[in-house]
Order: sequence, then C-alpha cells, then structure tokens
Amino acid sequence: MMVQPLGIVFSESALRSDQFAVLAAFVAINTVIYVALAVAKMLPKIYVRDHVASRYSRQETRSIHPDGPA
Amino acid sequence: MGRFQRAVGLVIFGSAVLGSVMLLVAVGAGDPDPADAPSEGVLFGIWRVLYDTEAPPTHILVAAAGLALVFAASVALLERRIATRARRSDRPDVMPLAPKVVMAETRGVYAGPVTVTVLIPAHNEEACIAATLESLLSQSHRPARVIVVADNCTDATVQIAERAGVEVVETVDNRRKKAGALNQALERILPAQGDNDLVMVMDADTTLDAGFLEAAVRRMTDDRALMAIGGLFYGEEGKGLLGQFQRNEYIRYARDMRRRRGRVYVLTGTASMFRPRALRTVAAERGRTIPGVPGDVYDTVVLTEDNELTLALKTLGAMMMSPAQCTVVTEVMPTWGALWAQRLRWQRGALENLGAYGLRQQTSRYWAQQLGIGYGVVALTSYVLLIALMVLSLDNWVWFPFWVGIGLLFTVERVVTVWRGGWRARLLGATLFPELVFAMYLNVVYVKGILDISLQRQAAWKHVVVQVGDRRIRVGD
Repeated sequence: MMVQPLGIVFSESALRSDQFAVLAAFVAINTVIYVALAVAKMLPKIYVRDHVASRYSRQETRSIHPDGPA
Repeated sequence: MGRFQRAVGLVIFGSAVLGSVMLLVAVGAGDPDPADAPSEGVLFGIWRVLYDTEAPPTHILVAAAGLALVFAASVALLERRIATRARRSDRPDVMPLAPKVVMAETRGVYAGPVTVTVLIPAHNEEACIAATLESLLSQSHRPARVIVVADNCTDATVQIAERAGVEVVETVDNRRKKAGALNQALERILPAQGDNDLVMVMDADTTLDAGFLEAAVRRMTDDRALMAIGGLFYGEEGKGLLGQFQRNEYIRYARDMRRRRGRVYVLTGTASMFRPRALRTVAAERGRTIPGVPGDVYDTVVLTEDNELTLALKTLGAMMMSPAQCTVVTEVMPTWGALWAQRLRWQRGALENLGAYGLRQQTSRYWAQQLGIGYGVVALTSYVLLIALMVLSLDNWVWFPFWVGIGLLFTVERVVTVWRGGWRARLLGATLFPELVFAMYLNVVYVKGILDISLQRQAAWKHVVVQVGDRRIRVGD
C-alpha cells in the first residue's frame, strides 16, 4: 500500500483549489477591513474642532437660572 | 406585528449576506492564485517551521482598509448631521424637544432647583433591592424621593424597601411587565413634577456609583435643554470567565461612549434620568409622530422599552448624553443560558423597534449598526470555516508572517480597549481566541433573533430565574 502524506480529514491539495483561494481571499479582505477598524478604535480619537478656533459663542444662558452665565 | 416588522430581519441580514456574496464574486472574478507550497525555515537553530510569505497585494489592502474607514466615517458623519439638524430645529410641531424649542418655552422662567425622583420597577427583587437602595441613599446628592414600583411581587421586596424607608407603590392589575408598571407610576407622579423635578428610572439589580446623582444634577442645572442622561454601565465582579467576557464587553462600550464624548446610543434601563417635559411629550406624541398608545410614556408592546424610549426621544429632537461620571454597576448573566435569553431579547427588541420606527434619519445609525453586526456574522463565520479547513487539511502547520502580524494588531486592540478593566480583562483580551468564541456565541444569538422575528415566533418576554448558590437571579432585563 502506498503511503501518502494526508491532512487529518481533507487532502492538502484541497487548499490549492480555486474555491479555497476565493474563500481565503474573502477572509483576507474581511480581516484587513476589521483590523483597520480595530486600529482606528485603538488610537486616540482626534476632534478637529478642538484645534480650530471657533467663532461660536453662546448668546444667552442655558442654565435653569434665568440670570445664569451664558 | 406589521409585515414590515417581520421583514426587518431579512432586510438587514439579507443585505449583509448580499454584500458578502458581492465581495466573494468580485474576489473570484479577480482570479486569486491558489497558494504555492510553503517554504521551510529554522527558528533559533532548533525549531523547524513551515512558513509562507504570501500577503495580499498592497492595492487590495489599501482598498479594503479604506472602504472600512469610509463606511465608519460615513455613519459618524450622518449621525453628526442628524444631531446638528435637531439642534438647529425651531419647529415645535416637528421636533417639540429640540433645544431651541425648549429654550424658547422656558426662557426667563425659574422652575426651582433640580430635584430627583427615582423610580425602581421591581418584580421579586429581594436578592438585590437592598444594595440598590443603599447605593441611592448614600449618594452625595440625596434623591428627593425614592419609589419602588412593586410589580406583582410575591417575595420580600416590598418589606425590604419599606424597611429602608423608601416609598413603595404597588401596581394594580398590571400585565404589561416593566413598561406597564412604570407607566402606572408615572401616571401618578408626572402631573406634579415641575420642569426641573427629574425622574430617574433604574433597574433593581443595578447600583449607582458614588457621585452619579451629583454629576447628573449639575449637568441638568447647567443646561435646561438637556432632556435625558443615561448611565454608563459596568459589569459586577464574579461569575467567572463568562462574567469576564461580559465585563470586557461593557468596558469597551463605556470606552466607546467616552470617545463619543457621551453622545448616547441607548438610554439604558439600568439607570437613566429624564426631564418631565421629555416624558410628557413622548406620551403626547405617541400615535402621532412616534409609535405606541397615546398617553403612554413607555411602549408596553416592545421587548426593549429603554431602546424604544431612546428612539422616541431622538425622533422628537431631544438632547441627551451619558457623562463619564455617571456610572452604574449592573448584573452580569451567570450562565450561558441566561445570557442567551438576555441577548435574544435585546436583539429581537432592537429589530422590532427598528421595524416600528422604519427608516428615518434618526434610526439610520441603528440600521447601519445592525447591518454591521450582520456582516460581522458572515465575516467571522467564514474566518472560522477557513481556519477549520486549514487545520483539517494541513499535514504540518504553516505560519503566515503577514497574518501573524495582523493577529498581533488585533491582540493589541483587544488589550488596549479593556485596559481599564485590570489584569484579568487584559489577559482575556490578550488571549484573543476565547473572545472570538464569545463573539461567535453572540452571533448565533443574532441569527436566532433574525429567524424568530422573520418566522414571527412568540417573543420570550418572560423572566428566567436562575439559581446561583443561595441566590435566585431573575434574568431577562
């Protein structure tokens, strides 16, 4: 009997099929998508507005006290 | 349930699957090369490894990452635009709770100092109500009134509450669960509440952290257009690994909220505070601009009444926030079964709410979120499938340096985002795969929720009671 190196369940040649290549590419793209989101989540969030001088200033108080500071 | 509501699940999950299929077809059309055989190398002079230096082409990497970031940024921009629109609205007929409308109606009027009336809906909560009351009564800003809304209690909840010296209101013929109980209590107390007499609703299984009320009252004093404040919840200690999974999840959610500077996703039922004007307006608008029974503050038909109320307030233009100082500790589910019941209710409730509100500007963010989870289910499942295929087919494990690097990035993200949770949280994040299994579990719940709503299965709004040691824990909130 000829002994062939085999994977546990499927033959290793299954990994060289076109279908597997498509699945692998799909997973690869998704993984990159999620890692991009993960990195964005990990880095400190920058609010551009904080670093730009604002022209907005409150016209009137928003306090429950009518004579509170604006 | 309307036909549209039934279709919600399919619309969302169908779109996610369709998106995945389109990507698959595009990938197939690009004719990816089947992998070549890996090379063999020797690490540290002794460890023989097979490795494959293959990595996706740069333009694909850039396109995928760019697409993800553009999608995330679009959702954020859309949300910002909607918030700005509400802030600028001065039309009481369209957005009666918009800041400009509220400011105009209260200009020059002093309705007295801010007071807090706390409502705690309780259905057989003898195990935890004492701790809840203790956390309330020891706040630096004492609530003016604490009312336990005892709903069909058959245990010692009422006695414990009375012993703690708080008011107890028992519901009458309430068959509409928590929302029904709250509506009964609100019907009694709302008419006497002035503009600054806030109503806080909190779960009986939740304890407030010190300083919650003080911080909330300060914000409500400084801004009379602020209509609601939602608590940020953290998971209680204990319950082993399952507890840690949930704590990590809650820590990441709270971190997200801080990064959003408190802009609310959901005014959680665990602890949220409202200006009476907000609740009265919701009750008045039901059946008109928002779904529900006219006169009801809470919608009694839905499974997730807190999520529904958030959508109602957003639709009416209300400004709300979750300040970083307003934190609460809530129960984590002690068993996988209990977690299943809880999350299925959340998921199904969220879908039902979206169905009831339809596609409006204010709900677009939530639709996008559901779509994102749907796509995540497809992505994670295909990932697991791929890994399984490789494990079952390879004679020898092959290392892919590029993907190992990507994996390391994920690991760093998992650790950084739970840093505040201490070494246990970080350790769990660092091991990566257990959290993937947890995510997979939640994905299965998501799919079950979609199936249930599509097949119109009876929603399980019932309490699951779990025995943990000598405590019986009610699950379902």
